[in-house]
Amino acid sequence: MKIVEVSSNKKYEINISRVDKADLDTITSERHFFDWKKEKTYEILKLTIAGEKDILGLVSFECIDEEKRIHIRLLAASEENVGKDKIYDDIIGNLLAFVAQQAVLKYAEWACISLRPKTQLAEHYITKYKMNVTGMTLSLEVPEILELIERYSNED
Amino acid sequence: MNEMANEVVDSRYSSSREQRDEAQQLMEKRKLRMSKLSRAEVFKAKLMQLKLQMEEFLRAPVYDNKPHFTTFLETYIDTLYDKRSEFAKDIAVTPVSLSQVLNNHREPKEEFMLKLMVHSERAFKLIGSFHKKIWYQVYFQEKINETMASQEQWRPEVEKKIKFESFA
Repeated sequence: MKIVEVSSNKKYEINISRVDKADLDTITSERHFFDWKKEKTYEILKLTIAGEKDILGLVSFECIDEEKRIHIRLLAASEENVGKDKIYDDIIGNLLAFVAQQAVLKYAEWACISLRPKTQLAEHYITKYKMNVTGMTLSLEVPEILELIERYSNED
Repeated sequence: MNEMANEVVDSRYSSSREQRDEAQQLMEKRKLRMSKLSRAEVFKAKLMQLKLQMEEFLRAPVYDNKPHFTTFLETYIDTLYDKRSEFAKDIAVTPVSLSQVLNNHREPKEEFMLKLMVHSERAFKLIGSFHKKIWYQVYFQEKINETMASQEQWRPEVEKKIKFESFA
């Protein structure tokens, strides 16, 4: 999985791993938009460039096994990586693809990830990630969820 | 905050009732979408799951004596075939020798591994990405795991036979 430096188009290998207690002490809501400590009862993952410690993106989610679904609670790239002047692109896509992998790993053909962006942002997610709409909820299932995983996978 | 530009999402439900209502709606839609999935799409999802399971096993090996290789192989065969004998036929081995491999009564031969690799390359074309060496990696990782997990059994005898003393 890779992210792209917008200015140079250079690609960087990334790691996505669990956030630990020490990470939570360094994460600020100024740079990462939310109070992530409140999410510590859920799974929280961080995205970093391979070999580096700086956290460029975060996602928290809940596995709802009885529905064979993973619901994304919070999702954010770091402050300098959002908007038109972002340094790196594909942070959100990689985090979504990683959560999608977890869903397929657990639920195979029933795999589903869901999220509920604000109305004006929903269109963006529908277009960019081919998400399905159900009321306020956007979701990805087979086959689109597999396409997302493939899109952000490294293998040629 | 301009969410549109930021892609930043706060999806937390405001109440359990909201979550329940939306979940019910979503499940109805998902069942409908599921009913329209083709057989190939279901295969594709199951193969992707298997590939991710094997990758996870390689990434975070657990030192145990469980037969991971044959468990993955069984899943692979049972995903693609109604009968294991059909898989045996497709890779030109006898059903008996396949059964012995699956039951851990016989080690897979080099030729079996090569046939499995080529068969998997074709099957995994459905999901576009497949490491040719993954079956080998799983097989040898399992051997390492077994060896490390059974040190108490083999180490005392082996220690006696090694004459070399440590420098320390």
